[in-house]
Amino acid sequence: MRNAPSILAPLMVLVACNAPEFHSGKPLRERVVNVYSHRHYESDQQIFDGFTKRTGIHVNLVMADDDEILTRLQQEGANSPCDLLITSDAGRLGLAKRRDLLRPIHDSLLEAVIPSHLRDADGNWFGLTMRARVFAYDKRTVDPSHLRTYADLTKPEWKGQVLVRTSEHVYNQSLLAAMIAHEGRDSALAWAKGIVANLAREPKGSDTDQLLAIGEGIGSVAIVNSYYIGKLMKNTDPARDPARAAIGVVFPDLDGHGTHVNISGAGVARHAEHMPEAVALLEYLVSDEAQALFAEGNEEYPVKAGVPIARELAAFGTLTPDTLDLQALATYNAEAVKLFDAAGWH
Amino acid sequence: MRRRSSYSTRPVGIDQAVHRSSTLDPPRRPRRLFTLISLLALALAAPLLVVLTAPLHAQAPEWVHVRRVILPDHLAGTLELLGGVLAIALVLAVPSAWLVATCDFPLRRMMRWALVMPLALPTYISAFTYAALLGPTGPVSNWLADHAGFRPDIVDMQGLWFVLALVLFPYIYLPARAAFASGMSGQLDAARMLGASAVPRFRRIALPLARPAIAGGALLVAMETLNDYGAVKYYGVRTLTTGIFRSWAGLYDLGSALRLGIVLVLLVALLLWIERRARRGARQETDQVPVARVRLQGWRAAAATGWCLLVFGMAAMLPIGSILDDVRVTWDGTMHGQLPHALWNTSAVAAVAGLVTLVIAVLFTFRERYGRRSDPAIRLADLGYVIPGAVIAIGVMSLAGFIDRRQWLDGALIGSMGVLVYAFSVRFLAVGKQPLQGALRQQSTALDEAARMLGASPWRSFRRVNLPLLGPALIAAAMLVAIDVIKELPLTLILRPFNFDTLSTKAYELARIEQLREASWPSLMIVICGLVPVLLLERMLERRARSLGGR
Repeated sequence: MRNAPSILAPLMVLVACNAPEFHSGKPLRERVVNVYSHRHYESDQQIFDGFTKRTGIHVNLVMADDDEILTRLQQEGANSPCDLLITSDAGRLGLAKRRDLLRPIHDSLLEAVIPSHLRDADGNWFGLTMRARVFAYDKRTVDPSHLRTYADLTKPEWKGQVLVRTSEHVYNQSLLAAMIAHEGRDSALAWAKGIVANLAREPKGSDTDQLLAIGEGIGSVAIVNSYYIGKLMKNTDPARDPARAAIGVVFPDLDGHGTHVNISGAGVARHAEHMPEAVALLEYLVSDEAQALFAEGNEEYPVKAGVPIARELAAFGTLTPDTLDLQALATYNAEAVKLFDAAGWH
Repeated sequence: MRRRSSYSTRPVGIDQAVHRSSTLDPPRRPRRLFTLISLLALALAAPLLVVLTAPLHAQAPEWVHVRRVILPDHLAGTLELLGGVLAIALVLAVPSAWLVATCDFPLRRMMRWALVMPLALPTYISAFTYAALLGPTGPVSNWLADHAGFRPDIVDMQGLWFVLALVLFPYIYLPARAAFASGMSGQLDAARMLGASAVPRFRRIALPLARPAIAGGALLVAMETLNDYGAVKYYGVRTLTTGIFRSWAGLYDLGSALRLGIVLVLLVALLLWIERRARRGARQETDQVPVARVRLQGWRAAAATGWCLLVFGMAAMLPIGSILDDVRVTWDGTMHGQLPHALWNTSAVAAVAGLVTLVIAVLFTFRERYGRRSDPAIRLADLGYVIPGAVIAIGVMSLAGFIDRRQWLDGALIGSMGVLVYAFSVRFLAVGKQPLQGALRQQSTALDEAARMLGASPWRSFRRVNLPLLGPALIAAAMLVAIDVIKELPLTLILRPFNFDTLSTKAYELARIEQLREASWPSLMIVICGLVPVLLLERMLERRARSLGGR
C-alpha cells in the first residue's frame, strides 16, 4: 500500500523510542536494583551513590507520588521492573501490603536494627526514618507548658492562633488516623473540630509556610512536621530570620503514647527480579553511613539506635515516638479523611 | 469563494464541527486508509474510554461519602473558581486585544508579543511565585504589615482567580486580537461613518462579531483551570481535580476518583455546548481586510500604554523577575550539574511528542476534510485535552498494564518512552489539530475539487495540494504541542522511565520539598524553552498578518 509509510512512521518512532539508550541518562548496568521512590530528596541520591560505590550495584530510579506509584506497580503486575518500593508514608506501605504488591523478607540484620513497631510484623516493609508531627510555637508569646498534648491545642485559649495546612496532606491524615486507632472515632472527630475552631486562618500552604507565618505573628502555634523545622533552621535566607528567631518546638503527647510519627519506609516488590540486590540496598539504608545522611542531610529521625540526629533538631529536645503499630495508619486513613470532611477541615 | 473566518488564526482550541467545510463526496474514498485512521483514533481514545466506563469495571467503596460530601463541596469550589478566573481573564484579554489590534499607541509593537509571554509559564510555577511574593509572609505583605498595619494575602480563592487569570488570559487575547484585527473592518468603518463613537463601536459591533473567538479562548482558559492541581492545592481551594486526588490518595478509592473524573468530563461537555451556542448565529464568512488602526493621542495613548504595561508587568515581568531573583540568590547552589541532563530529556521528549502528535493530527484532519461523515472516534480522541493528566495516566496505565500483567512483552510497557509519547499524544492531540483545522478552513474546497477532477486520489490531493499550503500551521501545531509537553507534569511524573528527569519534574521535586528558591533554576529553563516557540509563533502570525495587509 502506498500510504503505508505515513502510517508506519509514527509507529517506528515509537519503537525507536523504546531503545534502551533513550530510557535513561545512564546506561543500564549488569548489577542493578530498580527503585520506585516517593522521596525527592537530594540526600537520597548521595545515599544511592554511596551504595553503588560500596557494592558496585547500580540504582535505577523512578520518582513519583505515592498513589501514582502504587497504581503503576499494580498495573505492571508480573512484568514490573520494580525491585524496591520506597515511600514516605506508612499508610501507603500498609496499602501496598494489603494489595499484595510486596513480598515478605526475613533478614536478621534488618530485624535487629529496626525497632519492631517501625516495621511490618510479616516483613513486608521496613521503616528507614521517622518524622514527627510536632507543634512549633512563637517563643515571644507562648508558654509551652500549656501545650503538652495534641488535645491541649483544642482549648479555647488558642482561639484564632492555630496554623496548619489542608487535610489534603497525608501527614495530617495519618495523625488523625493514629488518634482514631488510640482513642476512637468520636474523640478524633472532636479533636479535628477543636482545631478548626481555633484556626488563625483557613488551612493552606505548606508546612514551611506555617512556620513563616509564626515569624510574622499571623498565628502562634503551628502543627508541622519536624524535618521542615530542621530545614528552616539550616536555611540561611535572611527573609526567614524572623521565623528562625521566633520558633520553639513542643513534642506533643498523644494520649500517653508519645508523639505521633510517620515513617519513610521500603519494601521489596512482589515481582522483584533483583532480590539480593534489593535486600542489599535495604540493609545499606539502615547502615550507620546511610542513617547519618538521612539525619544530617534531611533532618529526619534515624531508626537505628546510636545514630545522632541533626544538630538543628537536637536543640529542640528529645522525641518520644508513639509505638503504635503503623499498619493502623493504612487501616484508618480513609476514616480520617471522612472525619476531616465532617469537621470542616478543608 | 473564501471560507476563511479570521478568528480561526488562533493557534489553539477546539472548534471543529460547526462550520466544517462542506466536503466532497468522492467516488472512490480511500477505505483502507480511513479504517487505519479510525483504528488510530480509537487507540488514542482508549484511555478516555477506560475512564468513562469506570463505573462498569472499578469498584468504588467510598462512593457514598464522595457523592454526598466531596462532590457537592468540590463542585461548588470548581464553579466559583471557573467564574472568577473567566471574568478576570476576559477583563484582562479583551480590552488589551482591542487596543493592540485597532489602535496605535507607544509600545504597541512590543505589546503584540509581550502579552503572549505568560503562556510560557506553567500555572503551578506562577502560583508558587505569586504566593512567595504576595502571600501572607511574602516581602510585600511583610512591608505593608510593618508600615500600613495591613497584611494582604493572595493565597485564597480570590487570589487564585487573579493568579490563574494572569497566566491564562493570552488564550483569549490571541484569538480576540486576530478577530479584531481583520474580518470586521467593513462593519467598523460603516459604524464610524454613521457617527458611532469608539465605545459603541466596540460594544455594539466588535464585541458581538468577536464573540465566537472570545468564547473559544475562554473555553481553553476553563479547561486549563479545571486541569490544574498544583496551584489549586497550594492555595487551599477545593475543585473536582483536588477531589479526585482526595478520593484516590486519602480514601484509597480509585473507583470514586474516576467517577469524579466523569463528572469533570460532563462539566466540560456542558462548557463545549455553551461555547458552540455562543458561536451559533455568528457570521462565519468574513472579509479579510485588515482594520485601519486609529492613532491614539494624549491621555488616551498614555492610558492604552499604561494598561498594557500593567497587564504585562503583572502577568509576565513579576513572576519572571521573581524567578530570576531566586536564580541569583541560589547561584552557587548544586543545581547546575543535574540540569543539562533534564534539559536534554525535556527537549528530546518534546520534539518527539510534537512530531508524533503532528503526524496523527495531520491524518485526522485529512480524514475530516475528505470523509463524508465525521469519525466519532476522532471526536472522542479530541477530549483527551480536557481530562486532568493524572486521570489520563490512569487510563494509559490500565491499558498498558493489561498487556504488562500478561507478560506478552519482554519488558514493561509502562515506563517506556513509547507509552509516555503515546500519553502525550492522547492528551495534546486537540492542541495539535486546532491550527491545522483553522488553516484548512481557509483553503477553498475548490482546490480539492480541481485536484480530484484531475484524477488525484483523496490522499494524493491532500498531500500535494492541501498539505503544502498548510506550511506555517504545521510548525505551529508541532510547537504548541511541544510547549505543552515541556510544561506538562503529572503524565511525565507517573509514566517516565528510570532515571528520566525533565525540567518540570525537577522543578516539581524541589517545590514539593519546599525548596522553592532552588526550583527557580528548572523553572527558568522551562520559561525559556516555552518562550522560544511562543515568540516564534507570534512572529509567524505577525508576518502572515502583514502579508495579508499587503494584498
